[in-house]
Amino acid sequence: MRIPARRIAPGRAEGVALVHPAPFSFVGGVDLGTGRLLDPASDGPGERVRDRVLAFPHGKGSTVGSYVIYGLAKRGIGPAAIVNERAEAIVAVGAILGGLPMVDGVDVQGLRPGDRVVVDADADEVLLPDVKARPVVSVLLRNRGRVLLVQRSGKVGSFRGRWSAVSGYLEGDEDPRERARQEVREETGIRSARFRHAGRAVLARHEDTIYLVHPFLFDVPSRRVRLDWENVAHRWIRPAEVATFDTVPRLKDVMSSALSLQ
Amino acid sequence: MHLTRGQERLLVDGTAAQRKAMGILVAIGELYGARGLVRITSAHVAGASYKMIGDPGLEFIEDFARDARVTVPTTVNPLGTDLRQWKELGVPPEFAEKQARIARAYEGMGVRPVYSCTPYALGVRPALGEHVAWAESNATCFANSVLGARTNREGGPSALAAAVVGATPNYGLHLDAGRQPTHVLDVRTKVRGFGFSLLGLFAGKVLGDGLPFVRGLVGGEDDLKWFGAALASSGSVGMFHLERRTPEWRKARTRGLPTVRVTKADLDATKAAYTTADDADLIALGAPQLSAEELREIAAIVDRRAPRIPVWVFTSRAAREACPAAVATIERHGGRVLADTCLEVTLLEHRFSRVATPSGKGAYYLPSLCKQRVILEDIETLMERFA
Repeated sequence: MRIPARRIAPGRAEGVALVHPAPFSFVGGVDLGTGRLLDPASDGPGERVRDRVLAFPHGKGSTVGSYVIYGLAKRGIGPAAIVNERAEAIVAVGAILGGLPMVDGVDVQGLRPGDRVVVDADADEVLLPDVKARPVVSVLLRNRGRVLLVQRSGKVGSFRGRWSAVSGYLEGDEDPRERARQEVREETGIRSARFRHAGRAVLARHEDTIYLVHPFLFDVPSRRVRLDWENVAHRWIRPAEVATFDTVPRLKDVMSSALSLQ
Repeated sequence: MHLTRGQERLLVDGTAAQRKAMGILVAIGELYGARGLVRITSAHVAGASYKMIGDPGLEFIEDFARDARVTVPTTVNPLGTDLRQWKELGVPPEFAEKQARIARAYEGMGVRPVYSCTPYALGVRPALGEHVAWAESNATCFANSVLGARTNREGGPSALAAAVVGATPNYGLHLDAGRQPTHVLDVRTKVRGFGFSLLGLFAGKVLGDGLPFVRGLVGGEDDLKWFGAALASSGSVGMFHLERRTPEWRKARTRGLPTVRVTKADLDATKAAYTTADDADLIALGAPQLSAEELREIAAIVDRRAPRIPVWVFTSRAAREACPAAVATIERHGGRVLADTCLEVTLLEHRFSRVATPSGKGAYYLPSLCKQRVILEDIETLMERFA
């Protein structure tokens, strides 16, 4: 799978993913002597960052972090490359000082520890050679503050019985927004949905597949819905209520992305 | 980002330090959407205190200094101790030795041996509209607001990179659009002296990374220094306009901006919020470093009413040398006048745990950077209380 990214520091490197799901500080986060992660929650030695593709949402904490990255790289115990969702200056400067390739714009929750990852900053991309990509659209329909969830039927190919937004696979180089509109017509019978917003892509991971989810927000004039065979039930919910449903992976993040900037 | 042919050459064919410096500027410029680099007339680098940057920083600075040379006049932030008094201060020899290595490395790059957070008080006075690259949040705020020079809130490495290249990414506070206010700060109480620090602490917390247009405030240059230093500590504020006072206030558009009103109760509450100790072992003055004039005033106050706990005064080397009589007075009363270092980046925690200070910036950073509990109070009241 190829994930588009933005170059922060030049270069190309390959390694096994080491994913830190929370914002990360190199000061207090990695031991400069051993190159091991320091996890205050566990007593045992942390994993080594050496030659790994270190992925985390964004940097935080002391500006000395730039120098720690430099020191790790100089000792040959630093990561092979860095992948962020949203780069900030401390880690960006550290990557330059240490000569490490770095990109941002990647939803790091799509990566799994152990994935083989190629970071090609010069080509503005991240490659996951062992992972299949399934591009999908996920459409949040909104009416007077409530959004539509549908429950997937027993006849669909994946996530049967789970709650989801209106969704469908993208084929070839189909336009995601057109596909979104079509799925709304098929799954709900609604023809008058108005496009509002396309959110940033979310990577929903399921085993060796990444669902590259393109989130959309459409407004609809009524709550009348006519389901087709793909779904068996529907609910109009307040967005915060999504936490109480058994949903497809990362539906909450897809909803946030679709609703952002609104 | 667009680079000139000369800049491209530095990035590809420069020395190791030049390539790295250009790499930093390009990365930061692209991160923040700069269209190119703009030439600067001076740089002020942060990251000189061994206490702050530790062994990782020392290692980088020494490595970088091997072939790095600054190309514009460059000053650097305070060190982690006064290297002419470290023994008397009880600073461990290893700390002093590593601190001296950092200073030597900077000097080897051609940086002026001025370890100060107030370059603007030491003759570095960029003119209205001049572009500079200054780290050190209070200096940045002063340069933008009071001098009308243009700089972003640089980090240590980005200011050093700018010093080597002689240019900085052109975005944010370098552009007219980035210098427009986001809030009106309407001061509804008379603010004097120490009140400028309280006002800054209060406003910074409310404004976050905003840019205030201040009304209802009258103050001199030292007052604005204390205000800006506190403002840039509790908030990520890089600039303010002060009505009828700062050079760009007439260009500021304030229509439709949210207004933050400040009353005496807000300032009293701020003082109480930052006061976490009920007694102190040390009175500390500075953060930012005191000017020569402030040093003389403090000497007179100490002489009138000698405190029973030591007074440490942080100032620049130049101010210390300009006022030998004031220094002698303070020392005679058991105090110290420390140069080339400053309150929050100096080593205090090996001797003290409770500090009284009138510095808003000091009160903001002392708990985290120096592990101190704090009394935030004006100097006259402190001298009375600890007489």
